[in-house]
Amino acid sequence: MVLSVLRVARYFHEVLEVSIHPLDAKKFCSKEVLQVSPSIGFLVPIYTYSMSTSQSLICVQGFHSGTSLSSINSNGKPESKESMSSCEDRTCSLSVQSTPDIEKKYVHRVYDAIAPHFSATRFAKWPKVAEFLNSLRPGSIILDAGCGNGKYLGFNPNCFDIGCDISPHLIDICARRGHEVMVADAVNLPYRDNFGDAAISIAVLHHLSTEMRRRKAIEELIRAVGKGGLVLITVWAREQEDKSLLTKWTPLCHKYDEEWISPSSSPLRNSSTMKLESIPEADENCHRGAKESNHVHNQTTEDEQESKDAAVVASVSPGISEDCLSTSIDQNEAQQEYFVPWHLPYHRAEISGASASALASGLAKKDDKKGAMVYNRYYHVFVEGELQSLVSGIDNAVIVDQFYDKSNWCIVLEKL
Amino acid sequence: MRLLTHNMLSCNIKGVSNGFPLRLEAEKWVEKEVELNADFLRGIFPKIEWKALAGAARALGYNELPDEADASMLDADDFLRRFHHALLELHVEEGALVCPETGRRFPINKGIPNMLLHEDEV
Repeated sequence: MVLSVLRVARYFHEVLEVSIHPLDAKKFCSKEVLQVSPSIGFLVPIYTYSMSTSQSLICVQGFHSGTSLSSINSNGKPESKESMSSCEDRTCSLSVQSTPDIEKKYVHRVYDAIAPHFSATRFAKWPKVAEFLNSLRPGSIILDAGCGNGKYLGFNPNCFDIGCDISPHLIDICARRGHEVMVADAVNLPYRDNFGDAAISIAVLHHLSTEMRRRKAIEELIRAVGKGGLVLITVWAREQEDKSLLTKWTPLCHKYDEEWISPSSSPLRNSSTMKLESIPEADENCHRGAKESNHVHNQTTEDEQESKDAAVVASVSPGISEDCLSTSIDQNEAQQEYFVPWHLPYHRAEISGASASALASGLAKKDDKKGAMVYNRYYHVFVEGELQSLVSGIDNAVIVDQFYDKSNWCIVLEKL
Repeated sequence: MRLLTHNMLSCNIKGVSNGFPLRLEAEKWVEKEVELNADFLRGIFPKIEWKALAGAARALGYNELPDEADASMLDADDFLRRFHHALLELHVEEGALVCPETGRRFPINKGIPNMLLHEDEV
């Protein structure tokens, strides 16, 4: 029996109280992770639950980052998102630009560690991207947000490219090739409005871990180009042409929930509710039934935030130990969150010098059979129609092209 | 970093409304010749905030740009050459870009500006 301790410090949102039947409490994932912003100075509420009869599950409405808040109704299903919209406008923009832990660890650090090797493998130009770049008027300013090793910078010799990426190591590689680049965050471009003639985001948005951040990145691209400017976005598709690829990816299970919450932040974490299954290695499957994964997937992708000084958030994964079913990948239609391995050969790892610290910090593992360090990169792969749905709320751009190309969903927007 | 890029950059710290242009403090810069393309210059001219360009060029010791400019000047070769030189041939290697509103410094190292914000600035 868990005794509920509900401690809510100062907070600036309404609190939504939901009453639940005590028997349902056990199944709820009441994970609310709020970012503490020292400048604002509020503390993070703690949510736990209790088995007493009239206990409530308290969810703070309208916190940052998360688009869908996990307010749980009495059936244990997440509430709809409509009630969130007003707060989202007001306050969620506060944190949408703050990088979640999972991206810091499994996107930023990984790319910095693998940069030279990654760059060496990025040379083939996708025909559709090439076509887009070549179609632009000579003299166009092209903004490449998330340019990586600069594969597309300078592709159209009649245009002027300005690239940015979050990885300083990748940007170094671009700069050495003479490109005009900077270190910047695609979710918050340091550009004034309307300067570019076109913008591209090639295989970038799938590294953003919340819907709000993905939408914000698209809004930034649109903001940065002028009226009539074109924006090309490509992302990895859930619907891969080579279905066997998915077996090499690790679907994110509860183990990785901890990555969304800073491991350093939880003196009060209720360990009895945090019993996580030991997850098998990437080659094996770890899946839940589609329904549960849907629920948790919504929870974890939308609600994660690092909480620095926060007391804690009790995280209860719905029926994790008992109900963690092993289903085949094909049945797990809802799964969109993955770790995708990157194998960095030992000799390359030594050159980059990152291996020792990566191993020590758990960022990478050794695969002696393959003679490589294995890093995991975080991906939110897109399903059909998801890009369209992301832009549907954006009123100053229209879709002028959309297609599937080599396991990527692609879209071209025009700024109005 | 070329001054063309500088002309686009703006401080994106939360709450800042006057983040452009960033003041250029250059410790090291170089000149690299590149072929002049008149069409390109004429095409980009409307986007350029002229005062910001002239100010940044002055920070690099290049005082040949007029204080103000209009499109008619693009017919003159001499103007085009100066415009081209300031926009594309001056590269800031080391220095900083300073937000006019907050004073926040964005460093430039090896020609690369770092525009990333800290946690409390977003």
